[in-house]
Amino acid sequence: MMPTPTPTVPTYEVPGRTVAVVIPAYNEGKVIGPVVAGVCAAYPFVVVVDDCSKDDTGRCAAGAGAVVLLHVVNLGQGAALQTGISYALLRGADLVVTFDADGQHRVEDIAVLIETQARTGADVVAGSRFLGKALDMPTAKRLLLKAAVQFTRLTSGLDLTDAHNGLRLFTRAAAGKIRISQNRMAHASEIVDQVGALGLRMVEAPVTVIYTSYSLAKGQRVSNSVSVLFELLLGRLSKT
Amino acid sequence: MIIQFILCAGLGFALFYAYLQRRKSSLVSLAIVVVSAAGIVAVLLPSFSNAVAHAVGVGRGADLVFYCWIVITLLVSVNLQFKILQVQQNVTTLTRELALRAPVPPNVPPGGAAMEGQA
Repeated sequence: MMPTPTPTVPTYEVPGRTVAVVIPAYNEGKVIGPVVAGVCAAYPFVVVVDDCSKDDTGRCAAGAGAVVLLHVVNLGQGAALQTGISYALLRGADLVVTFDADGQHRVEDIAVLIETQARTGADVVAGSRFLGKALDMPTAKRLLLKAAVQFTRLTSGLDLTDAHNGLRLFTRAAAGKIRISQNRMAHASEIVDQVGALGLRMVEAPVTVIYTSYSLAKGQRVSNSVSVLFELLLGRLSKT
Repeated sequence: MIIQFILCAGLGFALFYAYLQRRKSSLVSLAIVVVSAAGIVAVLLPSFSNAVAHAVGVGRGADLVFYCWIVITLLVSVNLQFKILQVQQNVTTLTRELALRAPVPPNVPPGGAAMEGQA
């Protein structure tokens, strides 16, 4: 008999509402197994989008309990998120949570997002490390994120404390309205812009982000911000 | 003489191509026709480009041709950028569709998932 792992982290359940956790992943073979196992123990419906990883990310994720969607071409985190969200909606999820593959997020914070949504009735709940905790965050990263908050405030009109947190929750309706067209890292800004443009209600909730040497080594460089700005501009021009 | 022949032949092909494409994109076609025709005239009548240049305040015909070439190249580059964007969107759509059509179900080995990460 296979023992059923009992959840050891606090969860928040809303009766009758299915929660899907979408995890975009690229070359995270080393950590994806434990990350997925941790999420699965609390929320069984986990979707990992393997963005054409060169290692065994997909196999490890499936082995840990996730449904794996495979991109045959590397498209980027934004595209992987959209694929995962589309799948979750196809499978009838009522709440769609986005979660990072590298271990920076805590499973217990998913409960915080769900509880916040249930209490406020918001369409989108965004995790904020500045309302919560950011453990061992490098100064350069902190400055860059603060700058991103200002930029987002200008472009979308939304007042957020953390504009680029991968831990978010969408209601089914909100997830269906949002369409991520920015394949790579500009998707975070695009999501916020669309929330503003669609008039969706977005609230923030305090979450903890853990910076390990592993996640920092894989993280975004400051120089990437320039290409993100360029991609956003190109995206806007192509729509006119 | 030979260079004039080669250039006119090249521009003639461009004119023919524009004619073939006239239904697909009339604006681009027209632009190619105008530019190629002007090019042929400039090649056959060397004083033509100088005359036009002086009329618009540019020193030499060759300079004018050069400036026009820069502008045309920039427009072509911008247009290519948008075409590339379109191709990328098509690739995204295809890749996503393939992923959605063949989801890999969970495959937890007996003994529990926690074993997997410790291999």
